[in-house]
Formats: sequence, C-alpha cells, structure tokens
Amino acid sequence: MAVSDQLILFGGALLLLSILASVVSSRVGAPLLLVFLVIGMLLGEDGPGGIDFDDFGSAYLIASLALAIILFDGGFRTPFAAVRTAWGPAAALATVGVLVTAAVTGLAAEIFFADGLLEALLVGAVVASTDAAAVFLLLHQRGMELRRRVSATLEVESGVNDPMAVFLTVTLVEAITLGGAGHVATTIAGSLMLQLGLGAVIGLVGGAVLTWMVNRLELAPGLYPVFVVAAALVIFGGAQSLGGSGFLAVYLAGILSGNRRLRASKLVRRFHDGIAWVSQIVMFLMLGLLVTPTNLLPDLVEAAVVALFLIFVARPLAVALCLAPFRFTPKERLFISWVGLRGAVPIFLAIIPVLGQVPDGLRYFNVAFLVVLASMLLQGWTVPWLARRLDVEVPPHPEPSGKLDIDLPSALDRDVIGYHVAADSLVAGKRIETVALPGRTRIIAVLRQNRVVPLNQLQELESGDFVLMVAPPEHVFAVDRLFMVRSRVERAFAGLSLGDFSFPAEVPLGQVARAYDLPAAAGEREMSLGAFVGAKLGADAAVGDCCRIGNSELIVEAMDGDCVTRVTLRLEAAELSLLPSDWRGRLRRLPGAWRDRLIALPGKLRQRLASSTRAAVGWFKATSHALTTRWREKTGAGKAEGKSGR
Amino acid sequence: MMINDILVPEAVIADLKATSKKQALQELARRAAEISGLHERTVFDVLMERERLGTTGVGNGIAIPHGKLANLDRLYGLFARLSTPVDFQAIDERPVDLIFVLLAPESAGADHLKALAKVSRLLRDRATCDKLRGTDNAEALFAILTESQEDRAA
Repeated sequence: MAVSDQLILFGGALLLLSILASVVSSRVGAPLLLVFLVIGMLLGEDGPGGIDFDDFGSAYLIASLALAIILFDGGFRTPFAAVRTAWGPAAALATVGVLVTAAVTGLAAEIFFADGLLEALLVGAVVASTDAAAVFLLLHQRGMELRRRVSATLEVESGVNDPMAVFLTVTLVEAITLGGAGHVATTIAGSLMLQLGLGAVIGLVGGAVLTWMVNRLELAPGLYPVFVVAAALVIFGGAQSLGGSGFLAVYLAGILSGNRRLRASKLVRRFHDGIAWVSQIVMFLMLGLLVTPTNLLPDLVEAAVVALFLIFVARPLAVALCLAPFRFTPKERLFISWVGLRGAVPIFLAIIPVLGQVPDGLRYFNVAFLVVLASMLLQGWTVPWLARRLDVEVPPHPEPSGKLDIDLPSALDRDVIGYHVAADSLVAGKRIETVALPGRTRIIAVLRQNRVVPLNQLQELESGDFVLMVAPPEHVFAVDRLFMVRSRVERAFAGLSLGDFSFPAEVPLGQVARAYDLPAAAGEREMSLGAFVGAKLGADAAVGDCCRIGNSELIVEAMDGDCVTRVTLRLEAAELSLLPSDWRGRLRRLPGAWRDRLIALPGKLRQRLASSTRAAVGWFKATSHALTTRWREKTGAGKAEGKSGR
Repeated sequence: MMINDILVPEAVIADLKATSKKQALQELARRAAEISGLHERTVFDVLMERERLGTTGVGNGIAIPHGKLANLDRLYGLFARLSTPVDFQAIDERPVDLIFVLLAPESAGADHLKALAKVSRLLRDRATCDKLRGTDNAEALFAILTESQEDRAA
C-alpha cells in the first residue's frame, strides 16, 4: 500500500514539476520538450533522482500511446485548408524525403564508422522522421504565426512521415536480425503499400464513424471527449493489429473529425489540449529516464557526426529534392529544411532495435538520443529567430480572450459568439451602419450597462458594450478581428506590415505598373491585382505569399476564403539576409578603439580557439577511450557474440 | 539616395492646418507647386489620381502621397506635420498627422522607387515618428528626417 501511495505522490510531483518548469523555460526561450527531457535525465540513474528505469518494453508501450494521442490531437487541429495547401509537398517530404534523409545520413555513418551498411542505414532510418510533437509545439508557441504554406507543410509533414520511418526501421531491424537483405527487399514495396493504404483507409473510415457516432450518441457531456480519445486509441491499435500504419490512421482520423461539425467540439478540443500536453510531458520525461547519460559518452562522436550530417546535409538535400516541383521561395525552402526537428519519434524508433534484439541495439538508442538533443538545442532554439530573419512570419491573428463562444447543435451551421467591445478595437465608437460585418453574421443583442439596447435604437457601438452575435464558423476569425483588442504581439507587428502600399484586389495591374514602372506584359495589364497574384501563386495562395515583379514584390495581404481581397506592394523585394541590414552602419558608429579591437578579434579568437580545441580534443580522446574500454568490458560478452554472429 | 537629396529645409511644414484629406492634399500641392515651379492643380490631380488606386495612408498616422509628373527636373519631397489629424482612409483607419509627399519626374524609374522605399522605411520607424510628433518647429523636423541617414546608408 505504502508503495502505491508513494508512487502517486511521486508521479503527481513529477507532473507538477514539469508544468512549473515550462513557465521558466518560456522565459528563457528554451524548447519546452527539451526541458522535459532534461528533467527526466536528471531524475534518472545518473542524476540526483537516481531512478533506475530501463524497461524498454513498457517504454515502447507508453510512447506508442502518447504518440497516438499527440498525432490525433495534431490532426484534430489541422484545418482542411492547411491540408489542401500542403498535401503535395508534405507527401513528398514524408515519403521520398524520409528515404533520402535516411539514405544520406546512413551513408555518412557508413563512411565514417564502417559498421556495415545495414546497421548504418538503420541509424539513418531511426533519425529520419521529424517529430510531430516538437513541430506542433514549436510552431504554435509564443504567438508565432508563419506563412500558411510553410507552417502547414511542416505540420502535415511531421504528422504523416512517421509511418515511413517506422516502416524503414522495422524492415532494417528484420533484415539485420534475420540476416541478409535479399528476401526482405522483395516484400518491401508491397508491405509499404499495405501499411500506408490500410492505415489511410482505417483512419478515414474510423474518423468518419467516430464523428457520426459522437453526433448520434446521447452521452453525459463529460463523456464525449473521453469517447473521442478511446475511439482514437481503437483506431490506432486496430490499424496496427491489422498490419496498417496506426500513426497514419490516427492522424487522418484526427484531421477528419476535427474538420467536421462535431458535437461538444469545444469541450473535446479543450480536453484534447490537456491530454496532449500530458502525453508530451509523460513521453519526454520517460525517454529522459530511459536513457543512461553516462552510457552516451562513447557514442558522442558518432552522434555528433550523424547530427551534423542530418541537419546540414541530409535534410537540406531531401527538402531541396522534394520541394523542387512546388512553388516555394528560397527562404521558405531554407526555413523548412532548418525546421526538421527531431523529437520523441527518433528516440521511440530507436527502442525498436533494442526490443528486436539487434546486436549492439543500445548504441542506436544512444545515438538517436544524442541526435535529438542536438536538434532540439540547435534548431529548436533558433527557429523563432530564423523565422523573423527569413521573413516567413506574418502578423498574427488576435488572441482569443474576452470572448464568449457557444456550441450550437451540430446540424446548425452557426456559432454564437459574444464580445466585450474593446476600447481600441476597430468597431469601438463606430456608427452601426458603418460596421462591416462578414456575410451571414447578425447581431442578436447588445448589452450596455447591464441593459439590453433595442436593436432598432442602436446607433453606435461603444467600448464596454457586450455584443452577442450569430455567425457561420468560417467567419468567426473575421469577426474576432473587428471586435477584439489588438494583441500585444500584433501591436508589436504593426510597424512590420507586409509591404509599403496596400491596394484593393480589384485595382488593374496596368495602373499600378504604370505608377511604379513595374514590368507587366500586355495581357497582364488588363488583369486585376488579385487575379494576377492569384494566377502567379496558384490556387493555394495564402496571406504572406509574394510574387516578384521587377525589383518589387506583390504580397497577398488579406483573403476572404480562396479569394484575394487586398494586395500589398513592397517596393524593394526583400533579400535573404541573416544579419541586420544596418550592421555595417552599427559597426561604423563604434568608437575607434573598439573598432580596432573588433577587427583584431577574429584573429585572436582563432588562435585561442585553436589552442583550446587542441587541448579539448586531447582530453576528450583520453576520456572517451577510457570510458569505451570500461563500457566494452561491462557489455563485452554480448557485443562479441553479436559481431561474430554476422 | 538620401533624404537630403530630395528634401530641402523649406519643404518642411511644422503645423499644416487642414480639416480633411482633400484639403490637406490641396495645401500640400500648393506648397509643392511653390518649390518645384509646377502648377498647383497638376500636382493635386496627380496625387488624387494615385489615392484613387488605394490610399497612401500606410497606418500609424502616416501618409505618403506620391506621383509622377512630366515636367519635373528632379525628385521633390515635402513633409508636413498636421496640427490636427485628419481622416485619410488609412489602412488601419487611424487619422493621419504626418505626411510625406514625394513627386518624381516621369523618367525617374528606379530612383523614384528607391526614394519612395527610403521614405517608407524612415516613417515606419516608431522612434522616428515619436520624435517627429514631439517637435513643432520646421528646422528640428528637418534635422530628425535627415539625421538617421548615416546608419541607414549601408
């Protein structure tokens, strides 16, 4: 009894600690998942916690469960519009991209360490997929709003590329343990098709059935979210047991049910938000506990090489290859290749070789763990900065606060929303007839100082009024913009609008071209700006997308559904710049003595660096040698057997 | 391209009085005509024609009316600080109190765009705008508009 009480105390305290740590981490800007991972490591056998957890079997179970929930949640929040924008590039990245990444990384490992081709490819396969949890979390943190095409591609990619990586890993593990790739290779293609096909079918059917049932069943309101989670787990487990890809299935089911009208969808969303958090915390804590940090040291060099190759060669190559047929600017390509975040999935995949009793299986786990650490530190930390530098951010939507949102029964295609009119919102103090509400949006009632103002006597909206409205769900965002206080982030962005001059989309291109000496072909002059931009960008145009014209750029500034409504002209097309544009000027303003010192700095630094690197390398070689021998002695028997077995 | 090259101290107005967008543009056209030697009416028509394409009120109380004129010998800039802000149909719907007019010869081409981008970048800077709003004599305004040049030149 006492043990179970202590376990509960301990588990609860761990969860609390992680949640509190998240507050600190957002101050420092550290990637949150890294914090959970580090807490896990600290509590593990080498840290002050001293917990000895090395049950790979149950770790695999817990991680599968957590991943299923995270993927479902990720799909649940992905709007159809994003899927429509991104399915092409994401599908290419999730299939060919994963293959290329795995192959290139594997070949590099083979060249540098010569452990055998299959083993090296296994290393590549384990680290080949980007992590949904890390990408979702990173892209949504701190109100970072990316161009839709970029964020959608990254999200959908991370959601659908796990099956390919799982498949590659399992296949390679089988090839290694069963010996020889010959008979496995023949079944690879068929088996992959089965996995993806079955996964997709089960996911789509499961999602449809799930939605249908939720909308039909009369349950206690609190049970709907639980029902959805249970159904997601059934879909995941069912697909896996039937030989399909559960990861793909559960993600697709999430997308499908998240985009249908679902009863109690607000409740489900909130519950899922919480449970996805718990899954992330539990998974990363556990993976941190599972690893033995001191055992990582012998694999440090290999992991570093693999990580560097992965980040700087394999991923950029895969992205360049996969995105070649699609319209992305060079900056967007660069950004997408940098956000190849590795998270729980590679560590999770690295459990498979351990469980499959691949000789020296722990090594893959250690390498994968270190690669993930490197990716989170290097990429995770720099992404918000890079997004700003590479100009892939767009001004964010207002934060939903001070707003009432009521679910209507799912058959009615309307939401009831209410706002306190904020003092610096767009409608405050406006006469009612000049407030341009989106289509099919009606004001139901206006409350002023606790009295209902009769609608026929309503002259203008005052700040502090409470306005109750009915609106179709797709217009809720537009109404938000009208009524809500502009968020801190948006105000900060106000100085950073997309371009110089803004035009309604109906203005003919010819007139703008004449005013600014822009090159436009005779046929294009007749087109409206909106039509021109639409034709250049294709059907998947989104706010923030730009097309070049002469030395200037036309940028989509606002859209209504699929239709461009405003276009901004940026006079001087933005160039790729990682340094502030005025860095030379800033340097020049420094006092002379400082300037000289700065100029001399690189030389001095280089000397200092060279000498300390030499010292460090010497120390490192000695230590790692000592550790390797000690570790070999400890695990010597199993290793020798494994090597001779091949 | 520097603000110095397009703006002379005489082209800075510290307290322009206007009650509407049209009146402000008329007044600015009159002053521009004095400096450049063009017809007031021609300047006004060019500026209004540009406004019809889409407002040059770029938000944050700033407007940058501009246009091309056939008989101009060089780029002309004109800056005015309004004593009371006017509605300029700006993109953020806020009234405008800082206006920079830029007139370019028909043949200016790339120089026109460069100058316009320069002005746009200058007035997009919050700190500069705050300083401009806190100043009410023409020489000081001219100094603010032209001072931050060096570090922007690069």
